[in-house]
Amino acid sequence: MSEYSIINTRAPRLDAPDKATGRATFIDDLNMPGMLFGAILQSPLAHAKILNIDTSRAKKLPGVKAVVTAEEAGLVKYGVSPARYDETLYCHEKVRYVGDEIAAVAAVDLETALEAVSLIRVDYDDLPALFTIEEAMVEGAPALHEGFPQNICAEVHQEFGDVEAAFNECDLVRTDKFISKRQDAAFIEPHGCIADYDLSGHLTLHTSTQVPHYVMRTVAMVMGLPVGDVRVVKPYVGGGFGPKAEATPLEMSACILSMKTVRPVKMNYTREQVFLHSRARHQFIHTMTTGVKKDGTLMALKNECYLDGGAYTSFGIATVYYAGSLLGGPYKLPNMKYDGWRIYTNKPVCGAQRGHGGVAARAAWEHQLDIIAEELGMDPIELRLKNVMVAGDTTCNELNMSSLGMKECVEAVRQGSKWNAKRGKMPRGKGIGMACGFFVSGAGYPIYRSDTYHSTVLIKLSEDGGTVNVYTGSAEIGQGSDTTMAMIAAEALGVRLDDVRVASGDTEFGVDLGAYSSRQTLMTGHATKEAAEDVKRQVLEVLSEKLNTPVDGIDIKDGLIIFKSKDVDFSAIRARYIKEHRGWSDLPRGNDLTFREAARTAYLARGSIVGTGKYKPPELGGKYKGAAVGTSPAYGCSAQVVEVTVDMETGKITVDKMTDAHDCGFAINRTSVEGQMQGSLCMGLGEAMFEEVKFDEDGRILNANLGEYKIPTALDMPNVEAIIVESNEPNGPFGAKEVGEGAIIPTIPAILNAVYDATGVRINELPLTPERVYMALKAKVEKGDTRD
Amino acid sequence: MLLPKFDFHEPTTIEEACQIMAELGQKAKLIAGGTDLIVNMKRKVLSPEHLVSLSRIDALKNVDLSDGPLRIGACVTAAALAESEGIKRTFSAFSKGASVLGTPLIRNLATIAGNLVSARPAADLPPSLMAYGAKVVLKKSAGERSVALEDFFRGPGQTVVGKDEILTEILIDKPLGYTGAGYIKLGVRKTLEISLVNVAAFISLDSQDGSIQRARIVLGAVAPIPIRVPSAEQILVGEKPTETLFVRAGETAAQDSRPIDDFRGSAEYRRDMIEVLTRRALEMAFNEARSHE
Repeated sequence: MSEYSIINTRAPRLDAPDKATGRATFIDDLNMPGMLFGAILQSPLAHAKILNIDTSRAKKLPGVKAVVTAEEAGLVKYGVSPARYDETLYCHEKVRYVGDEIAAVAAVDLETALEAVSLIRVDYDDLPALFTIEEAMVEGAPALHEGFPQNICAEVHQEFGDVEAAFNECDLVRTDKFISKRQDAAFIEPHGCIADYDLSGHLTLHTSTQVPHYVMRTVAMVMGLPVGDVRVVKPYVGGGFGPKAEATPLEMSACILSMKTVRPVKMNYTREQVFLHSRARHQFIHTMTTGVKKDGTLMALKNECYLDGGAYTSFGIATVYYAGSLLGGPYKLPNMKYDGWRIYTNKPVCGAQRGHGGVAARAAWEHQLDIIAEELGMDPIELRLKNVMVAGDTTCNELNMSSLGMKECVEAVRQGSKWNAKRGKMPRGKGIGMACGFFVSGAGYPIYRSDTYHSTVLIKLSEDGGTVNVYTGSAEIGQGSDTTMAMIAAEALGVRLDDVRVASGDTEFGVDLGAYSSRQTLMTGHATKEAAEDVKRQVLEVLSEKLNTPVDGIDIKDGLIIFKSKDVDFSAIRARYIKEHRGWSDLPRGNDLTFREAARTAYLARGSIVGTGKYKPPELGGKYKGAAVGTSPAYGCSAQVVEVTVDMETGKITVDKMTDAHDCGFAINRTSVEGQMQGSLCMGLGEAMFEEVKFDEDGRILNANLGEYKIPTALDMPNVEAIIVESNEPNGPFGAKEVGEGAIIPTIPAILNAVYDATGVRINELPLTPERVYMALKAKVEKGDTRD
Repeated sequence: MLLPKFDFHEPTTIEEACQIMAELGQKAKLIAGGTDLIVNMKRKVLSPEHLVSLSRIDALKNVDLSDGPLRIGACVTAAALAESEGIKRTFSAFSKGASVLGTPLIRNLATIAGNLVSARPAADLPPSLMAYGAKVVLKKSAGERSVALEDFFRGPGQTVVGKDEILTEILIDKPLGYTGAGYIKLGVRKTLEISLVNVAAFISLDSQDGSIQRARIVLGAVAPIPIRVPSAEQILVGEKPTETLFVRAGETAAQDSRPIDDFRGSAEYRRDMIEVLTRRALEMAFNEARSHE
């Protein structure tokens, strides 16, 4: 049994009753008096000069209240990374992809707004469009953005140690190429928002976002408002996975239209517009060269990567760095060289998605490590155990593993999957494979350069003493962070979970950088814990004064006050409380002083009891260029074993079983941890087997819907054995760290390796559709390779 | 996405529906489950001025398994078809087709007639219905006619149904003894799929261990309409069923088909899969035929 009452349990989610009954409020459930509806005009062309925009017919349509273009919105440049602001709200000189925003309309209803959009006439002059990395990088290719020759949006060149020298000492050096595909995050709730600009000049934006804080800053900057006049409020959100981690043209269109009309304006993306806005996973093309000794010791990795970025930068600079830095662990790797290029193309913009930048890189490398294990005649698990890092190790790119249960995860999946009994003993068409991975537990630095706290939390006890109110700007997006914060607050304060209420996702509650980079449990958790301890200290101080007993002789546990000494007489407190509540039926009784009485006493002595907490990581990482990307106060890690059946005649894969072990530090909510593991595996399975955004020759998406863009259905998901491996993370609240993204990292390579084990064919390109697998099998037969 | 404006009619009898269609003709579209039509209307591919709903006509919702041919009303849903034990017993391949159409949500709405008149090349119900030799009844105010499903499709989205006609019923003769059928759908994932290739096969034996008397092979998603492959069928007729025979039939079906490349799959893969799936569907049909006295 744990020493804790609340954390490390399977507490039900706070939002479960509302979500199960449909009472939870999402953006589409919100309406306001006098509300207008907005719609956006998007470019039908991939690359073209704008010669003229004529909005006169749209403006004359009855019911239209405002029409805005770059002329009204101005040309404030924005983006994600301040180093590369390359977007304006609306296109002015040219459009750069099918879907680029040109104008927006607010009208009395959506029909009218859409009709008005169709009445805006834009004259274009076609420009040559570039759809592939190869086309875009040709010397002298037309530039999407001035000043970026060969359309290189960002490039990274790093070397740690001496890779070439290390290769010379290796017994085996091999090079493999790996190609992943552009993805969509396919969250269930498309983006939506309501902007409400009031007559005192305050702008409130209700929006389906992962990052209220960053949205507030970008909106203020682009609208030209002081940050203090902009408030962002997040209702319940139906998933984000990364693409909702930045301000969108939808949000800013609603804001400017509300400012023009001084009425609330509601806007939504359709599913097709979600695909067009994208900001989801890039396509990665990795070429990796790895050198090892005969005994399996990893010596060096040379990693070259090209990313198809789409028309703007978004998170792309971080992405191209992550595609290198996240291979520094979890194996001891003394030499690593990375060259990465992110290329602009005339397609929707790619950004961050679960496992940001690290997913394809890990798939490529773990797949290659499997090949190396085979060539060395080693069991793939033994190769990994031979090289695995342990707590306290630092990677060659200066990431510190303050806790790391990597070895324990590998052993757990080996045992959980019965690896030793299955590996090498399965019939043709059936296979088993494994892989490992690690991920940040919160980015070490904010997106904009600042000494800001990453999270501030405020806890206020209700004046009656009965309720603990937690106020945080953090973002509950379906992952369960509100429940996590309630559990941390309850544990740290010593109250019952039912006593805690969480209000979150509002920039008025404080600073929180939001739900990205798997940061909230660790960072918001820290601030929540500190705020709860602050409140607890204040209550205990008052009790100490009133009861004339030392503070360290009093504790709070399970909503009751625990005194070390038996002689403490609290009858005066109780008598006063009962007197105040004459007629109430729930008066405190029993031998223990309750927290409610204590909190009421504290209020009577000091006024409202408010505690605050804050968190920012210490200075992390190295001094080299780009050293910040990949830093984190802690790293989660995981190992997975996947079993598959491959229909050798059709190429169709069935994933039969997945065994996943994840080190999340100390689990705050065990059910939530397992939920994140399950969800990550499902997303990884989709990316491995089905998912690809496809385009026609004019740069239009062919499958911008969830019928043709195939995410896994319930029937495609096998049983998952989720094993929680706990380490005690010194930098985490109660020893906790991430699980939200790290669990996706090993999924693709584990599937790739299992498919090889089943078929004897290595496939270096995703997704593993039946056709791709079949063609690989056919090519092997045609080559006369009969080796199984 | 919003629906364009239209007038909505809800007749309660087939006669009334026929009358409305006779008056409105091309300006109107019939709607049953709407799983195809509404999507196309939202995408502005279709914008009929009138929708004529068949949902209130109870006569179109019957499944008659009693004597004579199986009669299925136009508005019977895929879910009802998939759940019918009687259909599963006698027409297993058709039952299978209904059970893999779309998802549970779609199956609850989508109707058999809708799946036929929408005439999508990859639709799940036509192949097995054609393999069983199904006919459809087309009614209008002036009378009715019956058309073999084989002669029903004209191209993607196009059928022989006249602008004033309503598909009211599907008829399938009950198979004699020693007959069986199989249906296989190949997609990328396990459900919510559009077939890359689908194959239905039907076999009738002259006795339990006898020769093949009749055979039908129908391929979907490899041509503008579901197609039979007479060359492969001819290989089977009069022969004793063997594994080699089915392999040969599969090869012939593949050779004589002309699938195309599209973003869902290549012609080469589709052709190779026709070979594999035809063989497998024939094996299924044969196994059922031997056990169906």
